[in-house]
Amino acid sequence: MRILSFTFVLCLLAAISYGQKEPQKKIKPKRTDNYIRMKGIRLGADISRPFQNLWTKGNRYGSEFSADMELWPNLFPAFESGIDIMKIKTDYVDYRSSGSYSRFGIDYNLLQAENKNDKNIFYVGLRYGFVLARQQVNSYSIDSYWGSTTGRFGNQNYFAHWGEFLLGIKGEIVHNFYMGWTIRGKIRLDNKDLGMPPAYFIPGYGKAAKGFNLDFTYSVYYNLPWDFRKSIDRKKAAAGVSPKITVTKKTPNKK
Amino acid sequence: MITAIACKEVFEAPPQALLKAALLNSSTEESDTSTVTIKGIGIDNTLYKDSSLTEILFPLSTKDTSKFLVSFDSVEDTITFIYETTMEYASMETGFYNEFKLHGITFSKNRIDSIAITDSLVTKTWNENIKLYIRPLSSGSN
Repeated sequence: MRILSFTFVLCLLAAISYGQKEPQKKIKPKRTDNYIRMKGIRLGADISRPFQNLWTKGNRYGSEFSADMELWPNLFPAFESGIDIMKIKTDYVDYRSSGSYSRFGIDYNLLQAENKNDKNIFYVGLRYGFVLARQQVNSYSIDSYWGSTTGRFGNQNYFAHWGEFLLGIKGEIVHNFYMGWTIRGKIRLDNKDLGMPPAYFIPGYGKAAKGFNLDFTYSVYYNLPWDFRKSIDRKKAAAGVSPKITVTKKTPNKK
Repeated sequence: MITAIACKEVFEAPPQALLKAALLNSSTEESDTSTVTIKGIGIDNTLYKDSSLTEILFPLSTKDTSKFLVSFDSVEDTITFIYETTMEYASMETGFYNEFKLHGITFSKNRIDSIAITDSLVTKTWNENIKLYIRPLSSGSN
C-alpha cells in the first residue's frame, strides 16, 4: 500500500512537471535597418515655445533651438538650448523669471525603416537639462482692513537641473525638411532654497514647486546635408591613409 | 477663441490670517450672542456694525499692535492685541500674506470679563485663537 501511494505521488509529480512548459525565450529579431539613414546635422526650431501662455498660467514665452545627428544607426545624440520667460502680473504680484537653459541627451529610433530613403523616426529619448535663472518680484501688495502693505524683492539668481524622458516623432515633409512633436516628462533633480520668496519658475522646466512636469513641443527641422563620414574618408585618402580601401592582387592560375 | 480663453486668466486673492474670537457668557461659560459693533482705532471703516455674532474675526495690522473699539449691546470696550508679524508666501499666482504670533492682549472691563488665549498662532486657517468672556447684560457695566 505504501509503495502504491508513493508511486501515485511520483506519477502526479511527473504529470505536473510534464504540463509545465519551459519558459520560451523571447528572441528579438535583429533590426534590418542597421545603417545610417540620415547623413548630416539636423537643426530645429521649436515653434510651440512662443505660444506656451495658451496652456500655462501666466505669460510664458520663449524660443528653443536644437541639433541632432544620427551618429550610430538609430541613435541620435541631441542638444537643445533656449530661453524661457515667465511673467505674472496680478493685483497682488508683479513677477518675472527668465533664464537660458540647455539640454543634452540621446534619442533611440523605434521605427524600422522600410527602405534607405525612409527617414521618418518614432523615438524615445533621455535628456539632462540645466539652467541659470533669475527671478524678481517687482512689487507685491497685501490688502488688509488696516490698509495695503506694498514691497518688492530684488533679483534672485539660482541654478536648477532636471532629467527628461521623452517620446516623439520626426517626419520628413519634403527633402531634408522635417516636422515633429515630443511629449516630455520632466523630473526635477534639485531646487535650491532661495529663502523668501522661493523659486516659483524654472526656465525650461516649469513650476519649481512640482517634482514632475509634463511638457509638449512641436518643432520644424532642416537637415544640413553634410556627410561628415565622407569628408573624413576623403581627408584620410588625401593623406595617403585609406583603411577602408583594400587592394587585392589577382595571381595567375598556375597550370 | 483660444486667445480669448488665454486672456481670461483668473488669479485668486492671497489668503488672509484672521484672529478668531469665540464669544462666551462669563457666568455660564456657554456661547453668547451679542449685537456687536467693532471698529479699528485710527480707521474710518467699521469692521462690524450691529451684527449679531457668536464669533468675531479680527484682522490684524502689520504693526505689532492692533487696537479695536468693541461695542457689545452698546457697551463699549477696547481690546489691544500684541503680536509679531511674519510674511508668508502663498504662490506667485496668489501672492503674499501675513501670519501672526500672539504675545498678549490688553482690554478694558466694561462688558468684557476676561480673555483667554487658546491658540497664539493666527494663520490662514481660522482656528479659534481666543475665548472672549462677556458679562451678562443683567450684571450691567462697571
